[in-house]
Amino acid sequence: MDLYLGLKVLWWLLLGVLLLGLAVMVGMDMGVGALLRIIGKTDLERRSMLNAIGPHWDGNQVWFILGGGAIFAAFPLIYATAFSGLYVVMLLLLWSMIMRPLAFEYRSKIPTETWRNIADWVFLLSGALPMIIYGAAMGNMLQGVPFHFDWDLRSHYTGSFISLFNPFAILAGVLSLALALYMGATMMVIKTEGALAERARTAGSIAIVAAIALFAAGGVWVSLMPGFILVHSVDPALAQTPLTQTVEQVAGGLLANYRGYPILWLVPVTGFFGMIVGGLLLRAHRPATAWWFGIFAWAGVLGATAVSLFPFLMPSSSNPSQSLTIWNSISSQTTLLWMTGFTVVFVPLILWYTSWAFYVMRGKVDASKIENDPHAY
Amino acid sequence: MKVIGYFLLFFVLAMILIVLAIILGDSAPWYFAWIIGTGLLILTSAAAGFMFDTQEDKAKGELQ
Amino acid sequence: MINDTVVALSRWQFASTALYHFLFVPLTLGLTVFIASLETVYVVTGKSIYREMTQFWSKLLLINFALGVATGLTMEFEFGTNWSFYSGFVGDIFGAPLAIEGLMAFFMESTMIGLMIFGWDKLSRGQHLIVTYLVALGSNLSALWILVANGFMQDPQGAIFNPVTLRMELQSFSALIFSHDAQAKFVHTSIAGYVTAAIFVAGVSAYYMLKKRHLEIAKRSFRMATIFGVLSTIGVITLGDALGFIGAHAQPAKIAAMEAMWVTEPTPAPFNLAAWPNQAKQENTWALQIPYLLTPLLTHTMDTKIPGIAEIEADNVVRIKNGIPAVEALKLLSANPTDPAAMTQFKAHEQDLGYGFLVERYAQDQDVSKATDADIAKAAKDTIPDVFTIYWVFRIMVAFAFLMLAFFVFGVIYSLRNDIEKHPVYLRFAMWMIPVPFLACEMGWITAELGRQPWTVYNLLPTWMSASSHSVSYMVFSLIGFVSLYSIFIIIEMYLMVRAIKQGPDVHHGANTGGHTKDKSLGGSVLGGSYAPVHAKALMDEQSAKEV
Repeated sequence: MDLYLGLKVLWWLLLGVLLLGLAVMVGMDMGVGALLRIIGKTDLERRSMLNAIGPHWDGNQVWFILGGGAIFAAFPLIYATAFSGLYVVMLLLLWSMIMRPLAFEYRSKIPTETWRNIADWVFLLSGALPMIIYGAAMGNMLQGVPFHFDWDLRSHYTGSFISLFNPFAILAGVLSLALALYMGATMMVIKTEGALAERARTAGSIAIVAAIALFAAGGVWVSLMPGFILVHSVDPALAQTPLTQTVEQVAGGLLANYRGYPILWLVPVTGFFGMIVGGLLLRAHRPATAWWFGIFAWAGVLGATAVSLFPFLMPSSSNPSQSLTIWNSISSQTTLLWMTGFTVVFVPLILWYTSWAFYVMRGKVDASKIENDPHAY
Repeated sequence: MKVIGYFLLFFVLAMILIVLAIILGDSAPWYFAWIIGTGLLILTSAAAGFMFDTQEDKAKGELQ
Repeated sequence: MINDTVVALSRWQFASTALYHFLFVPLTLGLTVFIASLETVYVVTGKSIYREMTQFWSKLLLINFALGVATGLTMEFEFGTNWSFYSGFVGDIFGAPLAIEGLMAFFMESTMIGLMIFGWDKLSRGQHLIVTYLVALGSNLSALWILVANGFMQDPQGAIFNPVTLRMELQSFSALIFSHDAQAKFVHTSIAGYVTAAIFVAGVSAYYMLKKRHLEIAKRSFRMATIFGVLSTIGVITLGDALGFIGAHAQPAKIAAMEAMWVTEPTPAPFNLAAWPNQAKQENTWALQIPYLLTPLLTHTMDTKIPGIAEIEADNVVRIKNGIPAVEALKLLSANPTDPAAMTQFKAHEQDLGYGFLVERYAQDQDVSKATDADIAKAAKDTIPDVFTIYWVFRIMVAFAFLMLAFFVFGVIYSLRNDIEKHPVYLRFAMWMIPVPFLACEMGWITAELGRQPWTVYNLLPTWMSASSHSVSYMVFSLIGFVSLYSIFIIIEMYLMVRAIKQGPDVHHGANTGGHTKDKSLGGSVLGGSYAPVHAKALMDEQSAKEV
């Protein structure tokens, strides 16, 4: 197999891994943030929740930054087109994301009720909104986004901001929020005790049932939506731009890959499997295992999206022939090779020290300690 | 046995450092200067802390 | 069509968010290293006071760190949201260091800082020290990769334009990371962070000494900070000189602006100690000159020519004319990448492609084929950055550097004589010094980035082309959003920082849990007694009384 083509496929898979890491790790913290006011009834309960993820949220958030950086490096044209096209959405995402670190660091530093209430609302907003946008962005990719390029690859987005929140995108956004709530609630069952843990179990159960229903509804919807087919293009192994291909929209096109390779149906099945088994384990008082099954759920949902789109990443609904695919939006071979080298060395290292950090801080949060520790969140 | 293990560990570390120094010294003089400089800076200011405590102890000894 | 207002608003937005982010970065870079030094003393001597110092400065670090992280997110997004043409054009090279920064540095820093703050009781002393060192290393490696990316914008090394994909592509990774500009700029910036932290620690310690509080912690911190600071300030000045030397070769227009040199002077050229540059007339209204000084200062020789602004501008007219056919050929290649005639024409004019782009702004319909001589003259005038601002901002930065050096030299003398608390005027001055390094860092950023104009990537991509094609209303919306959010943030941050400083170190912390105490003087009556248990308790009560 051609080296460049191999690297292109590898980085498509790695992009998936990154988006999965982001969804699992950041999503969990977001879920906790969104649940803060709902299942945490007293200030001490809320502080217990925050301190449960306190030592790790900073590291988890880097998945988000890494996701942005990796898209920039490996798929510069996607980064440029998507981030500028979805401008207002991206800014809302960004603003809610930058309020979160501050809510974390500063919430417990000022002991007044008003201040802490403000911080709690910030947690709710900055937990729920980014996850909805994350899902809605995926939903929009499935439908295609209205954009086109000039001769020099300057991109122009021609849709409105509101059109990004169409019914299907909202469904995808709520699905993503439900999975995040499930992961956050499960972590709270692991990390806290008593009535709080019990409320977290209830919240997690509701979230996972909602996720199952939404994923099934989304699947039916996708089968009815038009998809994109690459009619004519340059050899995928060659360097190319989105200006030299022909793309058509066909009914049922989003299921074309599943029809071609029925084994791929296993991908969405994995998603359902993860959600159902995870939910049952949560009821059966096995929260740690339930959390791990949440990863399968996320992998199934993201994987099903990727399979539906392949080889597209960001189709254009207004000018389909200028759609962005893996082949025409990816970086050069040299860049991909170097990035692969760094990934091979550093991703295992990251996984190793992240697990170590979780290991060091293992165990339930001790509510009595929080009040005496000046460093506690 | 333990001593030999430590010896080997430090020996390998020293070798890596030498190779690194040769490579960096050639193509990246400023990066190299930064590594050495920052290390020395940390140690020097740490030494300043030790020195302060020595001065304090001495002053206290004279008082008594 | 590219809209001038959108470009201008994008520039203002980037400059203000980057300068804001850069208010928090230097302190993190330096304070993490300084804290590593403090904790080293704690681990080696086992004296619990150094643990208290480590924890106290960590607390202040964390307040600062939160805003650094939050505003750094903005930067990661902003290339895509506001500078999408730039991102597509150089993402192949520019994105890699940003991604590697996440992989190699920021992940480590962020994971370890959680353990550094919360892991005191869960890690052994040695393990905790390693964690602290990794935080310091992580934050500085972070700066390294960001400045490698910035180095590419200043002096693009290791990349080549690919006419098939219409973008810059990576050729040599080692040329990219070992670029002289990236090297010198990283060290300059990192050490500027050390200086910032040293001034900050010295200033806060001075405040305690004036208030006669926490003397044991303040005096030790002050001693270590002044030694730390005096050495780093020397380093910053050295690297500043190195950057000038590198810039003289890579970016002559920036250097000419920094020195307000309108015409090429016979070597050795005179140095404009102070001047009043007038860009419209291309001359200095007045100038205070030192003869012969500039050439040796900048080039470290007596006879290397330093081109003046008039000469640079004249040369650029030629380059723009030579670049126009490259842009025309590229347009043909975009439709048909295998057009041999267009490829030949492109290869012949490739080296001036960026200069061809430069005239797009002034040509009719933004089409370079329609450019007139008058358009070309305007574009050539654009290649000279804003001389007045750069000249003065650069000068004030240098003046601040020497001011800080003098400050530290006095500090070292007083501290080594161990009579620092007998100099209240100096201590008061030390408090007033706190804003100085922050301002100097901001001015360094302005010199480097404003001096790079009109390019985002030097000689390759004009700033004017780099922005996204948004409407003015989008840009106004986002600018208003940033200004209001960031204003709220800085108020909260300053409030918490001042509050944490006024509260001072948690003296009880060490007394309760300091199991490793070897310190013989612990029970003794020490000046100020901030860590003698009896006084500590009194102080604690006083503090909790204040809190209620």
